[in-house]
Amino acid sequence: MRDYLDLVKVSAKQHKRQSRMTRLCIVLAVFLVTVIFSMADMEMRSQMAQAVKSDGSWHVGFGVDEEQGALLAARPEVEKMARYGSLNYHLQDGYLLGSFETGICGFDRELLDIFPAAEIIEGDFPKNTGETVINELAGIKLGLGIGDTVTLTTPQGEQREYRITGIAKDTALTAQHDACMMFLNLEDFGQLYREDTGEARELVAFVVFHPFCNIQKATEEICGRLGIGQDMVRQNVKVLALMFQSRDPYMMGFYFVAAILAALVMIAGILMITSSMNSNIARRTEFFGMLRCLGATGKQVVRFVRKEALDWCKSAVPAGTLVGVAVTWSLCGMLRILSPGLFDGMPVLGLSLPGMGAGAVTGLATVLLAAKRPARRAAGVSPLTAVSGNAGTVQAAKRAANTRFFQVDTALGVHHAAGSRKNFLLVAGSFAFSIILFLSFSTAIDFMYHAITPLRPSAPDYYVYSADTSNSIPGELAAQLGEYPYVKRAFGRSCGEAVWQTEDGQRPLTVISYDGQQFQWAKRDLLEGSFRDAAEGRGLLFAYHEGSPAIAGDCVSIVCGERSFEIPVAGILGDVPFSYGADRNAGSGGELAICSEGLFRELFGEEGYAVLDVQFTPGVTDAQVLELRRRIESGCGEGIAFSDKRISNREVKGAGYSLAVFLYGFLAVIALIAFFNIMNCIAMSVSARMREYGAMRAVGMTARQLVRMVRGEAVTYTISGVLLGCLAGLPLNRLLFSALVTERWGDAWELPGRELLIILAVMACAVCLAVRGPAKQIRRMSVVETIGTQ
Amino acid sequence: MEILKVDNLRKAYGSGEAKVEAVRGVSFSMQKGEFGAIVGVSGSGKSTLLNCIGGLDDADSGKVFLNGRDILAMGENERTVFRRQNIGFIFQSFHLIPELDVEQNIIFPLLLDHRKPDRERLEEILEVLGLQNRRRHLPGQLSGGQQQRVAIGRALITRPSLVLADEPTGNLDSQSSQDVMDLLCKASRHYQQTVLMITHNMDLTFVADRVFRVTDGTLEELGGARQ
Repeated sequence: MRDYLDLVKVSAKQHKRQSRMTRLCIVLAVFLVTVIFSMADMEMRSQMAQAVKSDGSWHVGFGVDEEQGALLAARPEVEKMARYGSLNYHLQDGYLLGSFETGICGFDRELLDIFPAAEIIEGDFPKNTGETVINELAGIKLGLGIGDTVTLTTPQGEQREYRITGIAKDTALTAQHDACMMFLNLEDFGQLYREDTGEARELVAFVVFHPFCNIQKATEEICGRLGIGQDMVRQNVKVLALMFQSRDPYMMGFYFVAAILAALVMIAGILMITSSMNSNIARRTEFFGMLRCLGATGKQVVRFVRKEALDWCKSAVPAGTLVGVAVTWSLCGMLRILSPGLFDGMPVLGLSLPGMGAGAVTGLATVLLAAKRPARRAAGVSPLTAVSGNAGTVQAAKRAANTRFFQVDTALGVHHAAGSRKNFLLVAGSFAFSIILFLSFSTAIDFMYHAITPLRPSAPDYYVYSADTSNSIPGELAAQLGEYPYVKRAFGRSCGEAVWQTEDGQRPLTVISYDGQQFQWAKRDLLEGSFRDAAEGRGLLFAYHEGSPAIAGDCVSIVCGERSFEIPVAGILGDVPFSYGADRNAGSGGELAICSEGLFRELFGEEGYAVLDVQFTPGVTDAQVLELRRRIESGCGEGIAFSDKRISNREVKGAGYSLAVFLYGFLAVIALIAFFNIMNCIAMSVSARMREYGAMRAVGMTARQLVRMVRGEAVTYTISGVLLGCLAGLPLNRLLFSALVTERWGDAWELPGRELLIILAVMACAVCLAVRGPAKQIRRMSVVETIGTQ
Repeated sequence: MEILKVDNLRKAYGSGEAKVEAVRGVSFSMQKGEFGAIVGVSGSGKSTLLNCIGGLDDADSGKVFLNGRDILAMGENERTVFRRQNIGFIFQSFHLIPELDVEQNIIFPLLLDHRKPDRERLEEILEVLGLQNRRRHLPGQLSGGQQQRVAIGRALITRPSLVLADEPTGNLDSQSSQDVMDLLCKASRHYQQTVLMITHNMDLTFVADRVFRVTDGTLEELGGARQ
């Protein structure tokens, strides 16, 4: 040894167990902060990738004329700009390719970089006038390819010819609407627009600003300088929000919530480390007193404690960070396995510098700050205390344990927990924080379920409907399509309009048929009545409608065509997720009832379907879908329309998966931390009192009684932590819920019973397991050695 | 009446060359109400012998009969309960429970047995110990001598047949040491309890009926100081 500080290493060897526990605590705290911040970072990257994929990477769109556009492009804060204009956006203005309504977009070539969804998969963007790019669907419908000439008929009856230079990939929107699209360069588009509308073209300039630019400030300045009105500005809210650049009031609320959650995570980490350090150093007061006795100054003791703390950090901080990074990697990997294709852009082995930094800084700063007070306390130990042997390993009690209400073992356990107010508050506080964190983060799950409608198992990938809602799709087609190897399921619905004779008069009633599978899916939405009766054709299932006189068990009188029927109401359904008209539910706007296919035939005398839903097996190719389309077209003839929902389904699924994995990941990490924190706290407390336990064993306390004592202590901490956690966590849960959900969707806050139950179950498990380790240690304890050497 | 019988007790620590035989074939017995003192230099094996007799430590071989029952043949749990009901321990460093007050510390073995303390007995002990005014004090609020008196009270409350005291005056000043010795004498004479005490101080053996010396793990009886 060259220096007195070398004693730190010797001391660490002697107190291996305690040091290991403190180190574990630091590892856990650093892990918690690292993993949560890293996951938040990865989630933001993933959401950004999704947002860019679906909405584009632009930040702000300005409605501009030619001159404004040129000035805007020259602004120093603008990194990229592309102008865009459209005609026949709603596919109803009479711009036709062949007989198909066609949307026309004119834009700068640069727009393709900003909107990855508008990808040209073959050929090139039109460089010259008289050239165009059409989408895949238009190519299929018209049977045209690159080099062919396409003729556009305008609403005025003029015909314009364009040479096809490229094929663009279908977007979610075009696939869903089965829409034909053509892309023109701005010169051609301007000419078309001017000649058709007689007005100067209106363009939107999509702008990508330079990194680190204050986008809101720049937008205001641009609007002021170029005289662009606020109504001509639109923002890519999702992208801006993910860049922390949004001033959208809802997003501001979101940031507020994120800040609270980040602060909570930090505080949880700080509490864990502080309580562990306090207990570790308090336990060795006698040792520090001995140092003082041997001539160490107070300052030297402070330095000793600080060096010791830094030594713990040396291994614990990198370990916590590494575990955090590993967990983040596995979560990212899981996302890629769950949804290949969607998360290809997400780095599996990506490092989140903010996450790692937050973890390391929290760990290091907390350890140094937490060491400050115990170090001072250690320095303040009088040498006399050490030599007199009165500096017990545990702080002297200030009041006696209450043996009136509890048996002495339990009473002592309760007293061990609650005896020292500061220690009690730190430990119970750290338990409470787990609950507060869990309850706070669980509001994000509610938010997720509101913000992202999860894809139902019944959601079709391909939706076929008769344009006039007649039941013109042959009933047997569903079974025939089901035989294709890439079709997972095909099912249809018939649709009929009836009149419901009620006491108040007549009500329009749309009746749709379900097959067995659709009834199975509807089971979860049944509010009252018998599901079986409806499935077996003995009644109607009415969709819930406010003010509806339908009551399960009653009979209703309906008129279908010219025939009247008396039919029982089998039950009430909370929701009908299926479309039963031309993409949107095109019923009469009145009541809606579901019946079996047999009953439908009986009521309306029709066997065909109005709608046919197809679900594909994973990995279905575009060519296979096209093959199916051809088969359907040949089977149904004219008047059939299609909606390809594969892309939009994938987007919904992707957004849901991503958020769900991260949010449930957060919750799992918090639960895990609560679990380990309880285990560690109890283990530390037991190890601190081993000598006292030895004395108790010597005077006749059995191992079982000692275990009961430890259990009493653990339960006291936990109950207090739970009460404290609920006291603070529930109002916070309510506040966050109202900021995230109530303000936007109006849902009233409810007691989060399920979440509470989960975290309480985790804590109860942790307490049971936390007692097991010390119980073994107590049973193995040698009384003589414990009271003699500890 | 024979209360304690130790038969060929052996205990060793370590193995091979590092093996130390702390107790080597010790045999002796004690009658009811006898006061025995064990003397010997540091490391001679006194404490090991006492711990084996009290069932705190396992012996390698031999038997320890207390009231006719072999302590060392009992299971861990049975031995603990037997110990708290039949043996009173007094340690050099008191080993009081810091969270319990004087009265609670004294009745602690009874509480472990879920027994209600006999108030009269408790008052008598408190009076004998001179702790009536301190009954609600915590150990941290007492002097060393007072703490040792509490420990003696705890050892006597169950009326054990055997009281084992390991250097009970080691941490005390002379006046407190004298008080403690008086109390132990009283336990032996007045309450007819067998007391076996370890001490370094030959002066304290003057009250003992029998004095033993332990040398390198072997026990020899020196006779009775009072005889």
